Amino acid sequence: MGLNVIITCLLNGLAMGMVYALIAMGIILLIRAVGVLNFAQGDLLMLGAYVTFALKVDLKLPLWLMIPVALLCFCAIALIFMFSIYWPLRDASYPAAIIIGTMGASIVIKEICMLIWGGLPLRMPPLLINPETGGGRLITIGNVNLQWQYIITGLVGAIAIGAVFFLFENLYAGKMLQAASQDKFAAELIGIPTMITIAATYIISISLACIGGYLVAPIFTVSASLGTLLLRAFAGVIIGGLGNIKGAIIGSLIVGIIEAFASVRLSTYKDAVIFLVLLVFLVVRPQGLFGTTIGDKA
Amino acid sequence: MKGKLKTSTFLILLFCILFVIAVPMVFHGYSLMVVNLSLIYAITTLGISVMLGMGGQLSFAGLAFMGAGAYFIANVCTGRLGFKMATLPALLLAPVFCGILAYVLGLILLKLKGTFFTFATIALVQVSFSFFMNYRPLFGGPDGISGIPSLSIGNYSFSSNNKMFYLLVVILAVVALIVERIRVTKFGRSLASVRDNDIAALSLGVNVYMTKVKAFTLSGVLGGLAGALYAMQGNFVASDLFAYNNATQFIIMAMVGGVNNTFGSIIGSVLITVLPEVLRSLERYLQLFYGLAVIVLMVFMPMGLAGVFKQLAKRLKMKKKTSSKASEGVIK
Repeated sequence: MGLNVIITCLLNGLAMGMVYALIAMGIILLIRAVGVLNFAQGDLLMLGAYVTFALKVDLKLPLWLMIPVALLCFCAIALIFMFSIYWPLRDASYPAAIIIGTMGASIVIKEICMLIWGGLPLRMPPLLINPETGGGRLITIGNVNLQWQYIITGLVGAIAIGAVFFLFENLYAGKMLQAASQDKFAAELIGIPTMITIAATYIISISLACIGGYLVAPIFTVSASLGTLLLRAFAGVIIGGLGNIKGAIIGSLIVGIIEAFASVRLSTYKDAVIFLVLLVFLVVRPQGLFGTTIGDKA
Repeated sequence: MKGKLKTSTFLILLFCILFVIAVPMVFHGYSLMVVNLSLIYAITTLGISVMLGMGGQLSFAGLAFMGAGAYFIANVCTGRLGFKMATLPALLLAPVFCGILAYVLGLILLKLKGTFFTFATIALVQVSFSFFMNYRPLFGGPDGISGIPSLSIGNYSFSSNNKMFYLLVVILAVVALIVERIRVTKFGRSLASVRDNDIAALSLGVNVYMTKVKAFTLSGVLGGLAGALYAMQGNFVASDLFAYNNATQFIIMAMVGGVNNTFGSIIGSVLITVLPEVLRSLERYLQLFYGLAVIVLMVFMPMGLAGVFKQLAKRLKMKKKTSSKASEGVIK
């Protein structure tokens, strides 16, 4: 394995890891705020890919118009999702009911996409197009060839995650969200409208997944199989640590890098390698890389 | 109270007898095989319901153990490993093998709590699936393993769907009775206490960790049994059944019927497996309706179909009571 292969793997892995991190962050935000393990997060990523495909390819919107429209669509999706899956089930007598509800939602989202856009994978044009070949533009540093799409994916993912961190750590609204997720009852006592904070959490976490969908769409194709990326994010969540957002992001990046290297040498066992690493982690360090002993809320 | 219980068990018994008589008359060939599959799935689902309904632990691992059981039979009974075992002892050994596997894995995985245990079982399903899919020497790779003999006891071979159906009904009934019996043993009650409040259970002297491990082992045994039967029923094992998507299917089966109800789990797996075959004409929209139905079911009846029946029975009883009280002139 030459040095250029190693660098390519590392960067591509980081970019894919960033996508997993977008999913993982959404999952952790929802677990912390409402105690719901969302099995539809991967399918929401897929929905994001389809929605942006519709805006970009079917409606041919320019990028400056597409981004705000797409974000509005993501918010609408999040609110619909929340009011159909979470709201009626929030007081269910059996906590697993709501998790099963998200599994049902995952099937519904997949089927709606199949009915609207058909079962065939769709090709999404990359953000920067090479005018000569029509494919994605490449960047050459030394003798290493990199696709711009991977670099953009990594950067946009990092910016989105950074923005959420900024919101939670530095802004008053973010503190409200945190308070509401730590103790819903006490937050209500001091006048925080928990319904709105929960809605905001749903919007943030689902938008993150949808943005991830937009970013990976040119790398893979737009198809129902994008939903399976969820499992890699799950792996990242555990490797990172229990309920720890920073840990989940680093865990997801590790998963991305492991995947990139594993697909060079052991491509058929790619999944097995990722999840074996995960199981080893569980045996050796069950609390994860950055885990504390705080139990989970779910 | 006792009379009431007896009528409900009587009803279930009646239903079972009708089921056994009616199904081979209505279903033939392929559709009877689907019914058989649903009965096999019901065994795995019972294992899941022990973990989820009785113990409150959401585990996807049932399917991985089912795979282990199926491939155990596929290896042992076809002579792939250089020896050939008779089918009956192999069928008995497969659950033992899976039980040991589940015990060891349970010791490791159950150190995790709640959601993170669930994640770990998903990882287990993924790892096992990718080995089943790719590792040729043991699992046949993408082609699967064919030529698995049907179960035979002495000279009697359960080779047709019809014979297999009666055998499966008997096995399922025995398994269901065992699970139902476990509910009222010390183990079952400690499991329920772990589900409802593990700290309280701990303070009452329940070994929370080992109780969960035992439940996990039980679900492994049931998964292994189901897998073994699956291999012998179809005479063929391929990896696609053991993928993650199907694992969610099994959880849904357990929840639809009623998560803490033995009979409900069986109804759930039969409904979810057989209904798509009956409603073939709606194929295009079937999955969509299925997903919607799962959501609606969870919203309106989180305890599944069995929960609905229980509630109805309760309401009927209440009505009877209030009406009898009213006639006696007692005002509450």
